[in-house]
Amino acid sequence: MALEHWLKVWASLPVLLQGLSVNLALLGGLLSLGFVLGIVFAVLEVYGPRPLRFFASLYSWLFRSIPEILLLLLVWLGPSRFGKPITGFTAAVIALGLRSSAYQAQIFRGALQAVPAGQMLAARALGLSKLQAVRHVLLPQAFRLSLAGWGNEFAVVLKDTTLAYAVGVVEVMFHARSLGAREMPLTLPAYITVALLFLGLTYAGLSLLGVVEKKLRIPGLEARR
Amino acid sequence: MRNMGVAVAVVLLCWAGLAAEKFIVGSDIAWPPFEWVSAKGDYLGFDLDVMRMIAVLEGYEIEIQAIAFDSIIPAVIAGQIDIGASGFTITAERAQVVDFSSPYWVSDQMVLVRADSGLNIITALMPGKKVGAQRGTTGAFWVEDNLIAQGVAVELVLYETYPEAIMDLLAGRIHAVIQDQAPSEQAVRQYPGQLLIAGIIKTYEEFGFLVAKGDPKKILPRIERGMQKLRETGAWDNLVSAYFGNPLEVIEAAWEACISILTVERDPVRYAACLAAKVQELRK
Repeated sequence: MALEHWLKVWASLPVLLQGLSVNLALLGGLLSLGFVLGIVFAVLEVYGPRPLRFFASLYSWLFRSIPEILLLLLVWLGPSRFGKPITGFTAAVIALGLRSSAYQAQIFRGALQAVPAGQMLAARALGLSKLQAVRHVLLPQAFRLSLAGWGNEFAVVLKDTTLAYAVGVVEVMFHARSLGAREMPLTLPAYITVALLFLGLTYAGLSLLGVVEKKLRIPGLEARR
Repeated sequence: MRNMGVAVAVVLLCWAGLAAEKFIVGSDIAWPPFEWVSAKGDYLGFDLDVMRMIAVLEGYEIEIQAIAFDSIIPAVIAGQIDIGASGFTITAERAQVVDFSSPYWVSDQMVLVRADSGLNIITALMPGKKVGAQRGTTGAFWVEDNLIAQGVAVELVLYETYPEAIMDLLAGRIHAVIQDQAPSEQAVRQYPGQLLIAGIIKTYEEFGFLVAKGDPKKILPRIERGMQKLRETGAWDNLVSAYFGNPLEVIEAAWEACISILTVERDPVRYAACLAAKVQELRK
């Protein structure tokens, strides 16, 4: 790893950063999809009628069981079999988003169940419907409780976006490998650079979540147990 | 919340927009000089330029998609992409699942070893030796068919990309790497004094462009016609002289200087002439 190789990787940093922006776009897409579906399935699993509860746990089991790389390839290659090709990016958002939704559902389920049962009873006693109680009383509390677990999921899926390389998404790992393919001695410096970029991103993301957690904390409430 | 989920799903599904007369070309863009990503992030290489030139000559658009080598044929079969252009050797096994163009290149396999290993082509491929190759390549198939199947118990170690195999060879975990001639020579050039060509295996492999079985979109006749025109006009020879045996930085600089002739002025013949002349000029 001579200095000249590091300098060449440094010169290609704009290309790597451009790749990283694709990872961030992927992250935004898959976290949003996972968040929306995750809440739906968490609520179904905790408060839904029995058949839906069963369906929700089946869903979580399914998408937590299939290896991600396999899920990615299935979503990518599957639809085109029926004449509906989708791009690698779309496939990655859907596959990784569905997978993330299964994990996020479990995070929110745990948080919902951590809210004392009396809260639901009290909300119902005040005349709220079950759905209103979930929306206005239980979910806001559950969100606060789920932040730590959610930060964990964020850190995991951020790195998962590099898997999209396998379905032809031109993201940061693609560019790192390209540098190595063009000039093999650059391989290791390029990989180390990408690792450093992810260290920075994870730090920034988790710090932000830490700030949110602090802002949302209600002194005395969480410590009551 | 639920409405937002529906909106997200709808947006995602709408992204699969299609233009008319546009073919998607899949390539593992990590195999210079046939295809690689330049320092500035452009896709270039012999295969890709041939695809671009034929597209201009035959009046269709192409979009080049980067795909891992062993995913290209599955993607062509699935209809995900239309053309595979990635230095594919025409083999009977592959010809059962896809259709090939006529051969456009002939290559042999090369065996690389570490310069200080003292191995030659015989000792590097003896029983017990670890031989590296890229997954899904004919180099890997050659080791399986001509060594392992014949009872020569070498250990075949497979890698996702060719550079990874070379890294492992340099790290001392394997004894040799088998790969096509041009990329092997490229690797030796990049590690002067560290890698050595142990020998050439005369496999006389022919490369072809590939499309889905039965060629449902009728692409092959157009590729054939395009290759014919390139050969008749001398553009083919110019392209060969530009891409083979030259340092990648030189080719990249020449490509950057000339590519607008192809993409803007849409003149493949003049583009190839420009590329060859510029490479010559820059080498001096």
